[in-house]
Amino acid sequence: MEKLKYEKPVISKITAGVPSKFGLPARQKIISEIDGIPVSKLMEEYGSPVFVFSENTIRNTYAEARQAFETRYPKVQFAWSYKTNYLDAVCNIFHDEGSWAEVVSGFEFEKALAIGVSGSQILFNGPEKSEKDLTLAINHNACVHIDHFDELYLLMEITQKLDKKARVAIRVNMDTGIYPMWDRFGFNYENGEAWNAINRIMLADRLELIGLHTHIGTYIMAPSAYAIAATKLANLLVATHSKFGHWLKYIDLGGGFASKNTLKGAYMPGSETCPTFDDYAEAITNALISSEIPHENLPTLFLETGRALIDDAGYLLTTVLANKRSSTGRRNMVIDAGVNLLFTSFWYNLGVYPSKSPSEYLEETTIYGPLCMNIDVIRDAINFPHVKTGDQLVIERVGAYNVTQWMQFITYRPNVVLIDLEGRSHVIKKKEDLETLKNKEVKPE
Amino acid sequence: MEIVKEVKISENGFVFNSKTGDSFNLNPTGLALIKLISEGKELDEIKKEFVSAYEVDDLTFEKDFYEFFTLLKHHQIMVQSDPLEFK
Ligand SMILES: Cc1ncc(COP(=O)(O)O)c(C=O)c1O
Repeated sequence: MEKLKYEKPVISKITAGVPSKFGLPARQKIISEIDGIPVSKLMEEYGSPVFVFSENTIRNTYAEARQAFETRYPKVQFAWSYKTNYLDAVCNIFHDEGSWAEVVSGFEFEKALAIGVSGSQILFNGPEKSEKDLTLAINHNACVHIDHFDELYLLMEITQKLDKKARVAIRVNMDTGIYPMWDRFGFNYENGEAWNAINRIMLADRLELIGLHTHIGTYIMAPSAYAIAATKLANLLVATHSKFGHWLKYIDLGGGFASKNTLKGAYMPGSETCPTFDDYAEAITNALISSEIPHENLPTLFLETGRALIDDAGYLLTTVLANKRSSTGRRNMVIDAGVNLLFTSFWYNLGVYPSKSPSEYLEETTIYGPLCMNIDVIRDAINFPHVKTGDQLVIERVGAYNVTQWMQFITYRPNVVLIDLEGRSHVIKKKEDLETLKNKEVKPE
Repeated sequence: MEIVKEVKISENGFVFNSKTGDSFNLNPTGLALIKLISEGKELDEIKKEFVSAYEVDDLTFEKDFYEFFTLLKHHQIMVQSDPLEFK
């Protein structure tokens, strides 16, 4: 006698009248391969958990963003935001596509130089720049984005000491209607501080003001906020020309485009709601083109887009360690990747998917990582099929910030793999081992 | 431990607990299982029936059985009055 197909027996409560927040997709999505390589093969070769990046997705996403802007505006330059993902192999792809580097620390500056980025194509942001960092930047002819007056005066001192000129821009903060307003970085537009800083720099012998920068926030869902930012920077550009007869070379609108991830608390998935590159490009370029800047003096538009360019290209493959029931009967699942590897799980409801056809039955589940800590929750409520211990899952859209903000805690950080355009996989960062960690420890004599 | 008398189970897997006012859905294996439980059969007997009828091994079924049981207790379809009673 042929046996019946077995499915785990389940009973689920019917909650009439309450619309299910999982009403959207009817079919459970499965991710069984990445760029043609089966998930099981990747995990067999590189272990679990493992981060996997797709070069194809990186290049396609970049091309899409570039096209959105270049078809609308004559001069566009992307600068890869290092903090978003500074693995050499990833940065190399962006530089190969023509991106400059956007760095926010001496470490990131050195990393960009070390992989061969020319100093003159590095934008140096951030509130933390030591005298040593600034000297390095000036010697390499980088563009320093000044964050505050103390940095401005320090730069004047250093350029005098070195008897060299520094190429600078200022970071401007402003009200673009976005809440919370990021006013802790840079000089404020509305209260005249930015204009003050421009005046002070224009009078300084060894500082050459070449641009204006802003970064209005991150995961900005409203393209109109960028239009406001572009207009305000354009106003400063025109004022600088009127007073000093000098056209600044660029306007840098920073990063902040939303990736397709779903923010916690959002009702609809990010993939349905977040603006496209075309939406952002339309708002920004219209604002610049319709500003008072004459067409022949339009500045180069710099963009430091981070998460929107890399989130989609990164996956984390993970294994189910256990299924349990909480004391209240709720389904809990433990996987081998925790919040120490997935910093972005604090902001997003990350997409977690089975790698092979699971049970048809879905149940609301909490997904925990393996850390012995209560905060280690990857998803507090996800409608998830029944999977078994040892089953392999894929967490998508984890390309941004995770492999830079990850923490080494109670275990080793895993391999990071890149699948190239030919569909071959390469380790681009090796899994840590005891040596990696003991290496920097010193026993007192 | 038995299924509470206020609980009605329909042929297509619909469950109503008039004591709590809650209703539930069972998947087909859940329905088959709850029927055997309501007949008062013990784990060993139920396991034998399941393993011969379905594509499932002993251990997997045993694990799932206890999990299902926990859910029945959680939904007050079965009541555990003595914490040391093992079922
Ligand atoms: C100055 C600056 N530029 C660019 C970025 C990249 O932002 P996002 O990843 O939101 O595009 C950041 C991120 O915080 C930033 O601080």
